[in-house]
Amino acid sequence: MTSEFEQTLEQFGWLIGEVAVLRSAAFELRHRDDQSRGGEELERFTADAADQIARFDDARNYRPLKTAPNLRHGWRIVCTSAADAEAAVEQLYPGRLAALRAWQRDELSTTALRQTLNRQTGMYRIASRVTDAALNELVGRFCRSDGGCLRTILWKRDGSGAAPSTLLPEAKFNPAYDQTNHGERAVPLLCQEACNLLVAAARAVAKGE
Amino acid sequence: MENAGLLIVGHGSTVNADSSAPTWAHMRQIRRSGAFAEVQCAFWKEEPSLRDALLFFRGGTVRDVYVVPNFISEGYFTQTVIPREIELTGAVTERPGGQIWKYCEPVGSNERVTDLLLKRAREVAPGINPAETTLVIVAHGTELNDNSAVAAKREVQKIRERGLFAAVLNAYMEEPPLIADWAQLTSTPHVVVVPFFISDGLHSYEDIPVLLGMSQHVADGVFRQNPHQLHGRSLYYARAIGTEPEFANLIVEQALAFDAAHKLQSVA
Ligand code: SF4
Repeated sequence: MTSEFEQTLEQFGWLIGEVAVLRSAAFELRHRDDQSRGGEELERFTADAADQIARFDDARNYRPLKTAPNLRHGWRIVCTSAADAEAAVEQLYPGRLAALRAWQRDELSTTALRQTLNRQTGMYRIASRVTDAALNELVGRFCRSDGGCLRTILWKRDGSGAAPSTLLPEAKFNPAYDQTNHGERAVPLLCQEACNLLVAAARAVAKGE
Repeated sequence: MENAGLLIVGHGSTVNADSSAPTWAHMRQIRRSGAFAEVQCAFWKEEPSLRDALLFFRGGTVRDVYVVPNFISEGYFTQTVIPREIELTGAVTERPGGQIWKYCEPVGSNERVTDLLLKRAREVAPGINPAETTLVIVAHGTELNDNSAVAAKREVQKIRERGLFAAVLNAYMEEPPLIADWAQLTSTPHVVVVPFFISDGLHSYEDIPVLLGMSQHVADGVFRQNPHQLHGRSLYYARAIGTEPEFANLIVEQALAFDAAHKLQSVA
């Protein structure tokens, strides 16, 4: 019986974000760019250690956003089973498989950016004061797939249904589009609600930083 | 617990790579134990986010979800941020499908934390005579809406009552008694310092070592060079208490304690 994880890959493609899932005897995960490299050139990890890969980029800088397009190279995760591979993907792209499954079942509720900002308390409360124009610019810069984040945005700017940013291409909101811009079939990384990093960036804008 | 899910909630960080590592490690350990049908973690400042946690435990088999904050104490995060983000209405929240989410006490409230602090102290300074040793529990202090200083005081009081060490003291980074004054605060030849934090990070790698007067304060070298000879004393410096693997068991106990406490209440 094929697992739900394998079914997902069959349906969307054996790529997720910057990760390729290779199918030989078992499963192996690598950076998409490293698919044709010899296994012996790559540092070998177990699925349990996948969070160590996710934590730093190639320059050993901390990656606060796991869906940022700066996943490090030079590793392979050799998995013992589909469940093992799924656990590794969950550490590389935390929460994304759960979001995809909810979306497939038509149960993924999205939250408009204004709603997220207005809900904040404490030091983040001020973030709600950002103007629409400033939000348009911020989201266009912060969430862009090229250098920002590889997720597909499903939320709106506010209750009016306005797009999150006019600076982002249509493809940024299309789950069928490969956000790495390689034009391949890939599992989408869905964004159902603005992340804390974007909220923090909105706070900085509101404070004039 | 075969129909139960466990959600471990951590703070996480946008700058500190070590902040969420213990929470992930505890999660993997509890998963391996098989005690729960599903074990997940979520963070305020990292992924999976607290909002993502609303998407977990949908497999169909999970009836009850235990939410355990991996925090040292109650405070702004446990009382305001976590309930707001994961839409908890109280100790018990019923979701539309009938699933019950149970909001447990933070792991730092577990009474065995005291034993873990003592275990840490023994491990970092093996074979030294406790009668010639001062144990210093260091916390941040002055954190807004945070009771971690209160929790640290409680732990010091409990350890003191056991009468093992010559002295047991609280110290803080930003309020008196200051950890920077450790040499004046203590008079024994041995001093053991245990940070009362959930994870290692800048505080335990750099800030506290500098305040203690160590010169080689880089990365985890500080933990490998015990004892440090400073002010004519032997100073032993431990990792943050929350990095202790036993913390995983404390997290599970917090979930079990929830049912025990709430059963008692319904009988009363
Ligand atoms: S809000 Fe969503 S798309 Fe934008 S950076 Fe955060 S996770 Fe990525």
